[in-house]
Amino acid sequence: MLFAGIDIGSLTAEAVVIEDGKILGAEIISVLPHPLDSAREVMGRLSSKQGIQWRDIQYTVSTGYGREQLQKEGLAQENISEISCHGLGAYALCPEVRTVIDIGGQDAKVIKIAASGELENFVMNDKCAAGTGHFLEVMSRTLGVALEEIGPLSLGSRKPVEMSNRCTIYVETEVIHFLQRGVPKKDVAAGINRAMAERVLALVRRVNPEPEVMLTGGVAKNVAVKNELERMLNVKVVPTKIDPQIIGAFGAALFAQRKAGAG
Amino acid sequence: MITLGCDIGSLFSKAVILDGDRVTASQVVRTTGNTGEEIEGLLRAVIRQAGLKREQVACVVATGNGADLVKDADRVEDVVTCVGAAAGYYLPEVQLSIDVGGQSTTSMLLDEDGEIRDFMRNDKCAAGSGRFLEVMAEKLGVKVAEIDQTATRAAKAIELSSQCGVFAESEVITHLNNGEPMPDIIAGVCASVAKMVLAQGRRFGTADHFTLTGGVAKLQAVTRIIRENLGGTFHPFPHDPQLATAIGAALLGSPD
Repeated sequence: MLFAGIDIGSLTAEAVVIEDGKILGAEIISVLPHPLDSAREVMGRLSSKQGIQWRDIQYTVSTGYGREQLQKEGLAQENISEISCHGLGAYALCPEVRTVIDIGGQDAKVIKIAASGELENFVMNDKCAAGTGHFLEVMSRTLGVALEEIGPLSLGSRKPVEMSNRCTIYVETEVIHFLQRGVPKKDVAAGINRAMAERVLALVRRVNPEPEVMLTGGVAKNVAVKNELERMLNVKVVPTKIDPQIIGAFGAALFAQRKAGAG
Repeated sequence: MITLGCDIGSLFSKAVILDGDRVTASQVVRTTGNTGEEIEGLLRAVIRQAGLKREQVACVVATGNGADLVKDADRVEDVVTCVGAAAGYYLPEVQLSIDVGGQSTTSMLLDEDGEIRDFMRNDKCAAGSGRFLEVMAEKLGVKVAEIDQTATRAAKAIELSSQCGVFAESEVITHLNNGEPMPDIIAGVCASVAKMVLAQGRRFGTADHFTLTGGVAKLQAVTRIIRENLGGTFHPFPHDPQLATAIGAALLGSPD
């Protein structure tokens, strides 16, 4: 029996299909203007690339921005919050996880999980772009490097620049000034990743972060942000066996399996 | 006594010459990365405009983010002290003075002697700043100088749900793509700035008399909302409000 989770974010949409708790297929797309179109597109890719058909899926759970609409339109039987989905996805991958740091395109969340897997607490920033994926998007554009390269680029830096601002708009101006002064891109990139991690850290400090710590969401793929957070928190984050960007959708699929009474 | 005040701000650098308390010359330039030369040029230009020689200027007082880059300065003063001094000197009846600059918003509570009793400053977040307006205007393809004119054509103000400049930028683009009229979007942007300024100003309670300074105070589309909603009587700053901090710096250059 197949179960699906669809996670519509602000920048990307993900779908995961599982069988007996194991991932059968997963897709990530850039979002379309309408969440319903994003859901159809991402599921369509699962079908065209991996031969998974809608009709074979017994139960689907939606999460993310468009989750309620997806359920209303019958694309999912149920919708569950991103917090619960990231929590369950992370716990399923590693039951020792107590702190999940989920950094998405337009928000960041820190989720505390009990040993039982129950959600204990969470904090969220969706008011300020600093400390979200959007910050890195703006900076990569200003720096003129691809979003995926901003992490690796900064690894070669020995002298990260120090940002005197937190606000994305002000840091953008600072970045322009650094580049105008001829500061190497890798040092500016390293400063950007550090500033990013500092904003996330401020959120993490609002809960009592306990090991194991897992990073989920698209920004988790930025190796420099991960390194900075490990240094600042003095912990090693748990490596994820799957793409950290699909953990929310994976959690949603696990909920689908649970809701259908099959696990 | 002739004094020169210069305010090296995040977006604009301003310089004024005061003869006593009378403004005799003023210059405003965009602040770029190349600040050293820019500042020297600015000072030379304002002195020339006043028809003076450097030796005739008794005191050069620098303030603002880039104050330390003013090599010719006799003194450096804190930016809040300067803008407070200007408001307190020219408008002694005012109890609350709000300065909305390029990258900061500062509310000052002034006592009867025009001294700063308390102040609040936001320079951490672009919401409600001049830079916020610039970013939005740029996205909309409108010059900052055209904001007022555009906003007068608005039938309504489209409210922005995000305060964050980056998120608001996405919202503005969505409104534009949805075919909303440009004046209505601009009016919404101005309302967003006014709302942030009001929120800060109100934290000191209601003042009977207040003024607005800083570059943003030049925009009627923003100040009108603040004037109508803050409570108390509004007193316009008697010079270009963008120059207030530089004027205050020059005032501080004269012995009392």
